[in-house]
Amino acid sequence: MEEKKITSENEEMLNIKNLVVHYETDEALVKAINGIDLVIKHGKAHGLVGETGAGKTTTALSILNLVPDPPGRIVSGEITLDGEKLIAELPLTNEEREKLEAEGKLPPCAPAKTEREFEHIRGDKVAMIFQDPMTALNPVMTVGDQIAESIRLHQGLDRAAAAERAKEMLELVGIPGIRANEYPHQFSGGMKQRVIISMALACNPRLLIADEPTTALDVTIQAQVLDLMRELRDKFDMALLMITHDLGIIAEMCDEVSVMYAGRIVEHGTLEDIFDNTSHPYTQGLFNSIPNIEDRKSDLKPIRGLMPDPANLPAGCAFCPRCDYATERCAVEKPEKIWLSDTHCVECHLYQQGDTAKKL
Amino acid sequence: MSNTTENRDILLEVRNLKKYFKRSDGYLHAVDDVSFTLERGKTLGIVGESGCGKSTTGRAILRLTEPTSGEVLFEGIDVTKLNKEEMRKMRTEMQIIFQDPFASLDPRQTVSQAIEEPLRLNGIIKDKKERFARVMELMETVGLAERLVNTYPHELDGGRRQRIGIARALAMNPKFIICDEPVSALDVSIQAQILNLMKKIQRDMGLTYIFVTHDLSVINHFADEIAVMYLGRMVEKAPTEELFNNPLHPYTKALLSAIPVPSIHRKRERITLQGEVGSPINPKPQCRFAGRCPNATEACFASEPPLVEVSKDHFVACHLCK
Ligand SMILES: Nc1ncnc2c1ncn2[C@@H]1O[C@H](COP(=O)(O)OP(=O)(O)OP(=O)(O)O)[C@@H](O)[C@H]1O
Ligand SMILES: Nc1ncnc2c1ncn2[C@@H]1O[C@H](COP(=O)(O)OP(=O)(O)OP(=O)(O)O)[C@@H](O)[C@H]1O
Ligand SMILES: [Mg+2]
Ligand SMILES: [Mg+2]
Repeated sequence: MEEKKITSENEEMLNIKNLVVHYETDEALVKAINGIDLVIKHGKAHGLVGETGAGKTTTALSILNLVPDPPGRIVSGEITLDGEKLIAELPLTNEEREKLEAEGKLPPCAPAKTEREFEHIRGDKVAMIFQDPMTALNPVMTVGDQIAESIRLHQGLDRAAAAERAKEMLELVGIPGIRANEYPHQFSGGMKQRVIISMALACNPRLLIADEPTTALDVTIQAQVLDLMRELRDKFDMALLMITHDLGIIAEMCDEVSVMYAGRIVEHGTLEDIFDNTSHPYTQGLFNSIPNIEDRKSDLKPIRGLMPDPANLPAGCAFCPRCDYATERCAVEKPEKIWLSDTHCVECHLYQQGDTAKKL
Repeated sequence: MSNTTENRDILLEVRNLKKYFKRSDGYLHAVDDVSFTLERGKTLGIVGESGCGKSTTGRAILRLTEPTSGEVLFEGIDVTKLNKEEMRKMRTEMQIIFQDPFASLDPRQTVSQAIEEPLRLNGIIKDKKERFARVMELMETVGLAERLVNTYPHELDGGRRQRIGIARALAMNPKFIICDEPVSALDVSIQAQILNLMKKIQRDMGLTYIFVTHDLSVINHFADEIAVMYLGRMVEKAPTEELFNNPLHPYTKALLSAIPVPSIHRKRERITLQGEVGSPINPKPQCRFAGRCPNATEACFASEPPLVEVSKDHFVACHLCK
C-alpha cells in the first residue's frame, strides 16, 4: 500500500509513522490521534488543517515529546527527525507481535531520547510557536533578554554575544534593535508575535512548527507575519509544519497539505491535489463551508452535524455520520489509505486501490 | 448624506456618533464622529482591525455604553434622548448577539431557561405555558433539538451555544439585531451553518442587521453594504460589490489584498502595510491612516479628511480620493 511513496530517507526532515496518541482521563479515553503518517521534506512547508479537536496540536506536541503525561500517552508509532529516531517502537519478537495483533493491540513505543536530549532538540533543531503565543513571553523580562537566554541555552554563546544576536534577530523580524530593552506589554499583538517568531528562529531550527501562528492577529498584520515566515524559510531553508484551520493560509504558504479529521489524516497531497482535485468528502465540505470571496452570491453549503467526540468514535469512517456520500459499508468499516497518485492519498470508501483522483 | 436617502425606508440613522473613554493619559477616541443610514431589511457590515471601534459603535447604538455625543434615530426616534423606561421598551426592538456565546450565557441556566429569560423579564408573555410554547417555537426556529431543553451551556458545542444566543435575541421579536462577531469563535463548517441560519431568519422575519466582523470573506457573503473603520473613524462605506470591486481608500485596498484566498490560481498583488495601527488616544488632527499609508502626502498630515460621497452610495474619507 505504501510502496508508491518512497522518498529516500535523507530527503526527509520529519517522518511520523502510524502515530497513536490517547488522553486517558478519569471520565473517558480520548482517542486524539488514531494512526497518522506524515512526512516533511527538508525545506518544505507542510500544512496541517482541520477543525477544533481534530488533533493538530497533539500531533505537534508528540514530535517534541511534550504531550502532557498524564493524561496524554503516545500509545504507538514512530517519529524520526532528520534520520534520528525520537519515538521508536519497542522491539518485539514475532510471537509477541502476533499475540498483540490477535488481541487487537498496537505495538508499544517509547521515547528513543532522554529528556535532556529532547531539551536539546527543542529550540535547537525544532522550534515551536505555540497556539497561545501571548503566554509564551515572560512579562517581567525584556524581550531582548528572553531571546538572548534561549540563544545562550542552545548555542552556548556568552552573555554579550547572545545579547548582540538577540538584537539582530529582532531586526530580522522588523523590530528596531533598540527596542530589545522593552517589556512585552510595550509591544502590540503583532510585534509580540514577531518577537516569538524571532525567538523560535534564533537558533536556526531545521524544522519550525507553527501552531496557528496568526490566528490572533489582524489580517494586515497577519500578512506581514506570513511574508516574514516565508522569507525566513527561503533564507534558512527551514522545513515548516504549519497548523491552521485557514485554507487561505495553506494556499499561500505550503507545498503539501494534510487534512485531519478526528485524529486521522483523511486526505493528503500537494496543493494542486488538494485544491484542484479535492477527493475526500470532508475536504470538499471544508471548501464549501468557506464564504467564497470571489463569488459572493454562491451559497454556503455547511457540513451538517458535528465532529464526533474522540472519546466515542464511530465504528466505521469517523466522517460517515456527516457524509453525503456514505454507504452502509462506511458505517461499519474503517477506510484504508488509498494512493490516487504518487503524491495524493485519501481514506475513503469512494475509492479503491488503483483509482485516480476524481473531483467530487 | 440625507439627500440620497429619499424614497428609501430608513430604519436606522446614526449622526455624528462619538464615544470617548477617559483615561489618565487623555481621551481614547473609540468611535469618532461616525454617521450612516441603514435601510430596513438590509445588512450593514462593519469591518476593521482589532480596536478600531466596531463593537463600541454597536454598543453605543444600543446605549449599552452611553454615547459621548451624537444621535441615533431608530424609526425616526432619537434613542439617545429616551429615559430609562422608554429605552427598556425600545430594546425589545433592538437586540444584540455576541461573539462569545459561552460568556454571554448564565452557566446555571438550562437552554429553555436562557431563552425564556428575556420573555419573562420583559413581561412579554405572562402565562407560563404560553411562554414555554414560545420557547419551543424559538428553539425550532434556530435549529435546537427539543431534547436539549434541559441541557446546560457547558454540555453544548459552540455552534449550539450561538444558536441559544440567537434564540434569545429573537425572543422579543426585534426589528433590528447587532451581530457582534457571531461566528468568529466557530469552526468553518459550523460557521456556515450559523450564517445560513441567520440569513434565513432575516429573510423570514424581515430583520435589519448590523454585522460586526474582522473576517472579510464572511462579510462579503453576508452584507449588502460595508463600512470600513480605522481608529474610530469610518473611512469608507459602499455597497458590498462596489467595495470589493472598487475600493478607494488605501486602507481598504490593503485590507482586501491581505486576505488569504483559498485558491491556488488567483495570485493577487499584495499591498503590505508597514507599521501597526496607531494609538486612539488624543489622535492628532490628521488622517489617522497617514502614518501607514503608502501614498500619504503633506495634506494628509495637515487635516483630517471628512467622509464624502464620491459616487452614488460610495463614501470615502481620504484626501487623495476626490
Ligand atoms: N490534556 C488533555 N486532556 C484530555 N483531552 C485532551 C487534552 N488535550 C487535548 N485533548 C483532546 O484531544 C483531542 C485533540 O486535541 P488537539 O488540541 O490536538 O486538537 P486541535 O486540532 O489542536 O484543536 P484546536 O483547533 O482547537 O486547537 C480533543 O478532543 C481534545 O479535547
Ligand atoms: N469600556 C472601555 N473602557 C475603555 N476603553 C475601551 C472600553 N471599551 C473599548 N475601549 C477601547 O475602545 C477602542 C475600540 O474598542 P472596540 O472594542 O470597539 O474595538 P473593536 O473594533 O470591536 O475590536 P475587536 O475586533 O478587537 O473586537 C479600543 O481601543 C478599546 O481598547
Ligand atoms: Mg490546537
Ligand atoms: Mg469587538
